[in-house]
Amino acid sequence: MLRITGGTIYDPANGINGEVRDLYVEDGKFVSSFTGGRTIDATGLVIFPGGVDVHTHVAGGSINFARAMTPEDHRRTQAFIRSQTRRSGLGGMAPTTFATGYLYAGMGFTTVNEAAVPVLSARHTHEEMADIPIVDKSCLVLMANNEIMLDLLEAGEYERAKHIVAWHVWAAKAYGVKAVNPGGVAAWKWGKDANQLSEPVEGYKNTTPGSIVTSLAKIIDELGLPHPIHLHCNNLGAPGNITTTLETMKHLEGHRAHMAHLQYHAYGGDDWDTMKSESAQLAEYFNAHPNMTTDAGAVLFGDTVTITADGPWQHLLYKLTGRKWGNLDVENETGCGIVPYSYRPSNLVNAVQWATGLELLLLIDDPWRVFLSTDHPNGACFWRYPEIVQLLMCADFRKECMAGLPPEIMNRITLPEINREYTLYEIATIMSAGPARALGLQQKGNLGIGKDADMVIYHSDKDIARMFGHPRYVIKRGEIVIEEGDIRETPDGSEYLVKPSFDPGTDEFLRPLFEDRYCMSFENYPVEMERIERPDLQQCITTE
Amino acid sequence: MGGKVTCTLGEVKNRADFIVYWGGNPAECHPRHFTKYTLMQKSPFLPRGRKDRTMVLVDIRETKSAKASNIFLQVRPGKDFELITLLRAMIKDQPISEAQVAETGLTIEQLQDFVSRMKAAKYGVFFFGMGLSMTRGKHMNSAALLTLAAEMNAFTKFVAMPMRGHGNVTGADVIMRWQTGYPFGISFNRGYPRYNPGEFSTVDVLVRGDTDCAFIIGADPGATMPQPAIDHLAKVPTIVLDPHVTHTSKLARVHITTAPAGISAPGTAYRMDEIPLPLRPALKSPYPSDEEVVRRIKEALLEKPDWMGERPQMLQNQI
Amino acid sequence: MNKIKLTLKKNPTVVLETEVISPDYFLERTHEEICASVVYHGKREKRLDEFFDVDGERSDCIEIHGDLQRVRHVGRAMTRGEVTIHGDVGMHLGALMNGGVIEVHGNAGDWVGGEMKRGKIHIHGDAGQQVGAAYRGSIIGMTGGTILVDGNAGIEVGMRMRRGMIVIGGAARDFAGLQMKGGTIVLCGGAEIRTGAWMQRGTIISLKNLALMPTFAESGVYNPTFLNVYSRHLKTLGVQLPFAEVDGRYRRYSGDQGVPGKGEILIWEPAV
Ligand SMILES: [Zn+2]
Repeated sequence: MLRITGGTIYDPANGINGEVRDLYVEDGKFVSSFTGGRTIDATGLVIFPGGVDVHTHVAGGSINFARAMTPEDHRRTQAFIRSQTRRSGLGGMAPTTFATGYLYAGMGFTTVNEAAVPVLSARHTHEEMADIPIVDKSCLVLMANNEIMLDLLEAGEYERAKHIVAWHVWAAKAYGVKAVNPGGVAAWKWGKDANQLSEPVEGYKNTTPGSIVTSLAKIIDELGLPHPIHLHCNNLGAPGNITTTLETMKHLEGHRAHMAHLQYHAYGGDDWDTMKSESAQLAEYFNAHPNMTTDAGAVLFGDTVTITADGPWQHLLYKLTGRKWGNLDVENETGCGIVPYSYRPSNLVNAVQWATGLELLLLIDDPWRVFLSTDHPNGACFWRYPEIVQLLMCADFRKECMAGLPPEIMNRITLPEINREYTLYEIATIMSAGPARALGLQQKGNLGIGKDADMVIYHSDKDIARMFGHPRYVIKRGEIVIEEGDIRETPDGSEYLVKPSFDPGTDEFLRPLFEDRYCMSFENYPVEMERIERPDLQQCITTE
Repeated sequence: MGGKVTCTLGEVKNRADFIVYWGGNPAECHPRHFTKYTLMQKSPFLPRGRKDRTMVLVDIRETKSAKASNIFLQVRPGKDFELITLLRAMIKDQPISEAQVAETGLTIEQLQDFVSRMKAAKYGVFFFGMGLSMTRGKHMNSAALLTLAAEMNAFTKFVAMPMRGHGNVTGADVIMRWQTGYPFGISFNRGYPRYNPGEFSTVDVLVRGDTDCAFIIGADPGATMPQPAIDHLAKVPTIVLDPHVTHTSKLARVHITTAPAGISAPGTAYRMDEIPLPLRPALKSPYPSDEEVVRRIKEALLEKPDWMGERPQMLQNQI
Repeated sequence: MNKIKLTLKKNPTVVLETEVISPDYFLERTHEEICASVVYHGKREKRLDEFFDVDGERSDCIEIHGDLQRVRHVGRAMTRGEVTIHGDVGMHLGALMNGGVIEVHGNAGDWVGGEMKRGKIHIHGDAGQQVGAAYRGSIIGMTGGTILVDGNAGIEVGMRMRRGMIVIGGAARDFAGLQMKGGTIVLCGGAEIRTGAWMQRGTIISLKNLALMPTFAESGVYNPTFLNVYSRHLKTLGVQLPFAEVDGRYRRYSGDQGVPGKGEILIWEPAV
C-alpha cells in the first residue's frame, strides 16, 4: 500500500490539469482511499501517468542486428554495472535489453510498443522482450508485404485475407498490425521500390499500395483490434513524398489509422537540394480528419543508427553516407536495413527533418492525436525524449537552436513562425494518455481508480530537459522502481496480446501455401502461448 | 566499411538465381542445403528449380560439391582475400590486368565471366564456410566477402551468409548480443560487458592462461583447441556440463551430466540465418537441463558473500 | 627530478587492469592515495600497493620495474608526462593516449597506442598485434602521434589509422596498414602478406621488398622530396631512412584498387 500526498497532478484521461490531490495505490492499482501504508510526500512535485511509447524498436532481429553492427558505440556509452539483483547492460544507440528497461523507466516510461515484428522471428522478439525489465510491452506484426495475403487480395478473396491477418496476429502473439511501405518491401527484394500508390506492385496486376492500405485498414477495423492499422507510408524520407502521404491518408478515410513517424513523410521539393518541410499542409489535412492518430518520429541532431523494414530507404542512406550497411531480407514477409547515421545541424536535409518533426507536434492541434516519438533509434534514441519536451515547451529555446541552422533553411521550414508552447497538461497527453488511448490500453496512461498504478513524479524545474530526464520517483504498478536516478527495483513487465477470431480452417488453408514458400515446418511457425512470459490477453473491440 | 547484407534461407529458396559457395563443401557437410534451400527447390519466381539457378563453387580443391555446380573456380590456397579484393576492384571497373590475376590461380576471363554473371543475376547469394573464415586472414576473409556482397547491391540484389557449424552457435551469438551488445569475446570482470576478440575470446584467454577457472557448457574445447589451451584447462578447476563425457570432461574437476537440448530439454535453437526454431523434447531424461544446473549454481552463489562490494550503478566512461 | 617509482612485488595470477597507472592520475595524488588506487585483479577490486611497491608522489613522471605481461591499460588516455617501463608490459599500453611519452625497455602486448591521438610510444623490444589500430567496429584508428617499435610487430599494424606515424624496426606480420586512411607506416624489416590491404590513403614505406596485393598497381620509381623531411624527423628518433639517389630509389605502388583507394606503398631498392 502506497499513498502519494500533496502532488500536483496532470491526468489528461480524467481531465485533471494541475490539481493537488492524493493518490492511493493497493495491489498495483489506484484505489479511492485507505488508511495506513507507506506515504510519499509529493508536496510541490508534479505527477504524470507513466509514459507510453507508441512506436519504438527495442527487441527482435533488426535491433539485434543493429547491436552487432555498432560495437564502437557500445564502448563509448554508459554502462550499467551488475549487482546481485540486477543485470548489467549498455545504453547508447541500440541499448541492450536490460539497459533498455532501465533507461525507459529512468525517464518515467512504463509501457512500450515494439513496432515491427516479422512473424518468422516473432519467437525471437518475445524472448528479447522477456529480458526487458520494468516496462510493460506489446508488439505489432508486419503484414503489408506478406505475399500470401497479397495473393489473396489480388484474387479478390477479401474474407480469406482477413482470416489470414487474424491468424498471423495470433501466431506472432502480437497486439496489432504494422504495415510498412505496402508493396514496397516485396518489390525491394528485386532491387526496386513501390512509389506510386495507384501503380500495381511488382509481380501483381491489380494490387496497388493504395489498395493494400485500404484493405488492411478495413480488415483491422472489422477484426476489432484495439490498436488500428499502424502505417509506415511508402516513400519514407524522400523529397516530395507529401503527395504520397496525403494520397495514402485519402485511402484511409472511413477507417481508424495510426500514421507512424509522420516527420519522415512530410517533405516537399523535388530532390535533396530543394527538399523542404510540408508539415503545414500535412497538419491541415490531418487536423480535419479525426480518424487518424500519429507519432512525430522527431529527429534530434547527433549520432544514431537507423533501422527500418524499409530496405530501399536504407540502401539510399548507405549510398549517401558511405558508412556501414546491414540488410536482412526475411522470406515472404519483410526486410530490414541498418545504417549508422549522424544528423548534423549544418546539413540542410537534416535541419529540415529536425524542424519538420517539431512543426508537426506544434501544428497538429489535438494533443490526443499526435504523440512523442523519435521512431527510436531512427530519428534519435528514446532516452533523448526530454530534449524534445524542452523544445516543445520553450519557444525561446527553439529559437536558440534555430540560430545554429544554415540560413538557407528559413524558407524551407515554418518553425520560426510558430510560437505555441506546450503546457504540462499537453505534454502528459502526448507522452502518456494519448498513446495509451491510441493503443487501446485502457489501464495505462490514466491515474483513475482501478487503473494500473504507473506514474512518474518530477521535481518542478525550470530546466525542462533536466526535469523530464531525472524524475524524483518512477512507480510501476505501485512499486518504486526509480528514486532520484537510482534503480530500486526491476520487476518484470507484462506483455499485451490480442486474439482476433479467425476461421479454424485457416491452418489447413495456410499449410500448403506456407510449405511452398517458407523453409520452416508449419508447426514451428506460430509462437506458443507458453513461450510468452507474463501474457496479458486484451479483448477485441467493436468499431462502427 | 561495408557491413552485412543477408537474408533468411527462405529468400534463397524463393528467389536466389545465382548461388556461390565459397570455401565450403555443402555436398558433404550440409547435405540437405541443396535440396532444402539452394538448388532443387522450385518457386513462383524460379518455376524450373535447378534449371533457373546457377551455382558457383569457389574452393582450393575439387570436392564433391564441384560436381553439383555449374562453374568451379579453383582458387590457389591462401589467395581468397586477394581474389575477393580483385573482384571488388573489377565490379567497379578498375583496370585489372592478366598479370594481377595470375597469383590467384584463375584467369582474367574466368573472373570477367564471374563478374558479369554476378551483375546479371537477379538475386545473388554467397555462402561461405570454414575454408574461408578459418584460414589465414580469418575474420578479414569473411569481411571481404560481406563487403563484396554489400557493394554488389549497387548493381543487383546480393546477400552473404556464413555456413555455421553444428550446435546452437548462432543462438549463443544472438542472445549474447541482446543481453550484452556483443556476440562473443566478452569480459564481465568490470561488472559490465566489454568486447575484444583476441583479448577476451575463449581460446586466447586459455592460451595466455588469463583465467583461474573454466566453466564449459555444450562445447568440447579439450578436443578442438590448441594444446596450450587444453593444458591450461587441465591446470585450473574446470567444470563441464554436457550430456556426454567429453574430452574436456576427462581433464575437468567436475562433470555434470545434463539432458540433451532438443531431445529431452526444451528451448529455442537459432538457425544459421538467425531464425528461431522451437525445440520440443521427445524423450524424458533423468538428468537436469543445462538451464536448471546453471540456475541452481547461481542460487548457491547468491548464498555466498557479495564479492563485488560497493560499485556505482552506472558508469559514464567505460574502460 | 621528482619521480614515482613502481616495482612489481607480487605477480598477478590473472590479468591486472591498471588504467590508474597514468601521469594524469598520479600528478595530484599523495603517496597514500597512489597506494590506494583501485586496480582490478580479474574481477576483484584491489589496491595498487598490493601488487607494487610505490615510491614517490605527485609527479607525472612514472618509472615501473618488473614483468608486467599480465598488466594491461598502463598509460591509458594519458595526456602528459612520462612512463618508463623496465620489463615486458601487457595489452593496451598507451591506448587512447593524447600526449606525453611512454618508453618500454622490453616487449609490449597487443593494441599498443590503440586509437591514440598524440604523444610518443617507444618499444625497444617487440610489439604484439594491432599497433596503433582501431578497436573493433571503430572507423578510425590512430589519429596522431608516433609509435616506434625497434623489434617485430604482429598483424594489423596501423589498422584504419588516419594520421601519425608508426615505425617498425623489425618485421611486421600480415595486414600492416589495413584500411589505412592516412598517416605513415615505415617498415624497416618488411612485412608478411597483405600489406596495405584496402587502404584508402596514406603512405607505407618498406625498406625490404614486399609481396604486394594484386590490387596495387606500380606507378614509377622516384625519390620523393617529402622523404627528405621524413628522414630528418626519423633521424631524431634514431631511425635511418635512406633517400639519396646515390643509395637507391623507391618503387611506388598505388592502391588498394579494390576500395578503390589512393594510398601509396614505397619500396626501397638499393643501388647496386
Ligand atoms: Zn519505426
